[in-house]
Amino acid sequence: MVHVFKTYPSQMSALSDITLEISSGEFTFVSGPSGSGKSTLLRILCCAEKPTGGEVVVDGVQITHPGFKKIHQLRRRMGIVSQDFKLLRDRTVKENVAFVLEVTGHARGEAKSKVSDMLRQIGLEEREEAPILALSAGEQQRVAIARAVVNSPSLILADEPTGNLDAKTTLDVMGIFSDLNHQGTTIVFATQFTGLIKRFPYRVIHILNGQVSNGKKVASNDVREVKAGE
Amino acid sequence: MTFFLRYVMRRAFQNMMGNLFPNLITIGIIAVSMLIFSTFTLFAFNLTNFLKIWEDKIEVIAYLKRGTPSSEVEPLLDRTRLLEGVEIVRYVSPYDAMTFMETKLGGQKNLLQGIQPALLPPSFEIQLKKDYRNPAKIDEVVGHLREIGQFEEIQYGQEWVDTFSALVHILRLTQWILGGLLLIAIVFITSNTLQLAISSRREEIEVMHWVGAGPGFIRVPFYVEGLIQGLLGGGLAILFLFLLHRGLFLHIPPSMQAWLARVPVLFLPPETIAWILLGGTVLGFFGSFVASIRVLRYK
Repeated sequence: MVHVFKTYPSQMSALSDITLEISSGEFTFVSGPSGSGKSTLLRILCCAEKPTGGEVVVDGVQITHPGFKKIHQLRRRMGIVSQDFKLLRDRTVKENVAFVLEVTGHARGEAKSKVSDMLRQIGLEEREEAPILALSAGEQQRVAIARAVVNSPSLILADEPTGNLDAKTTLDVMGIFSDLNHQGTTIVFATQFTGLIKRFPYRVIHILNGQVSNGKKVASNDVREVKAGE
Repeated sequence: MTFFLRYVMRRAFQNMMGNLFPNLITIGIIAVSMLIFSTFTLFAFNLTNFLKIWEDKIEVIAYLKRGTPSSEVEPLLDRTRLLEGVEIVRYVSPYDAMTFMETKLGGQKNLLQGIQPALLPPSFEIQLKKDYRNPAKIDEVVGHLREIGQFEEIQYGQEWVDTFSALVHILRLTQWILGGLLLIAIVFITSNTLQLAISSRREEIEVMHWVGAGPGFIRVPFYVEGLIQGLLGGGLAILFLFLLHRGLFLHIPPSMQAWLARVPVLFLPPETIAWILLGGTVLGFFGSFVASIRVLRYK
């Protein structure tokens, strides 16, 4: 991101002159209080909003170029996780994860094996036929993560994914993200909980009033080591 | 491609079943609209057909001036035969005319008692070539006949032809004006039902946007839904019209049936049925397209 601005029609400035670079394979926290501009930053990265100024390049694609139209192709290389999970409530765990593969043109056989693998990875293989509403909040967030990563994205954008979870479930979910990062996936994780950031030694971009107030890079570490050191 | 088609069809049917009642209402309204249009089309088709039959039988009767010597009849016949558009000319003598009238009157031919055949004027019955059996061309031939100057009167039922042609013209005009209005109504109705369907699946559509489903995967099932609604609406309209057409014949009094045997009331020809079905399908598609422009934009 280079000199990125975002001002809404109401003249409210959400981002002001943001310049930052997140390397491939990096785990980055985007922190800041509520309303600081974290979500706007993530929404710009996933093309849900256009900046009013500046340039943004995601995975080698200049998304701010006026001719850029293939949002769906870029989104297939991304996994998006949000605080409210955005799961299909009338479907089962398996159907929610398989839905991604179905609508992105994967053959049924391939989709079936990928879904089984993914549910095994997040520890929900026993509950694959369970309706979404029968799951706990933590389990629902795990399904949302499974759905975001089943397509093997190179980048995960997570907007307050632990905002609705208790402390133990938060650590479980962080463990999954950390594992994905160890497998090479770039993760941008927006949170306002400083306690969580302190527990995990990743890079932190702190945003305040739409501006980056720091950008220190912390040496990558394994979440299990941190947990072990609790 | 097969996968995509299977996906699209499955999603379209799932969407329709998920919103069964609004879909049935839409199909019903499309069917009624198409039925109104098809009924006008059927009327116009049959009247045109009737006009064609009538035009095929149309002939010009030119009455010779009284006292025309019989020696002039043959040269006049030859001259008339040479006129452009004339196919056959038959001379009807006063005696032939009397015989014809007696045949027509049948049991009441005694009404002609006391009338001398010589009182009836001799005439030429002129059959026209196929291309000349229309109001404009008939006028042309009649004009040439008048130039000859040896005919007392020329009859060809022009008023009847003109009135009937005007009636067919008005019917066709009404058909297309009504068709235009119904077209707008169908697009509006389909578009609104599909907006309802899209709205009921907004969570799913949002997830599809997030996970990078191609625009085709998101939109095409809704287009197919519109196509199916239009096709079923058009098909039902044709079916109802067919049943009405059949029902009409079942309940017609025998006296009219004899008349109808001479002037057949036909059902729409296959190509018109195909056009109506295609029209319904295209309108359904257009309605879904309009709905999707507003709602399914990638965001």
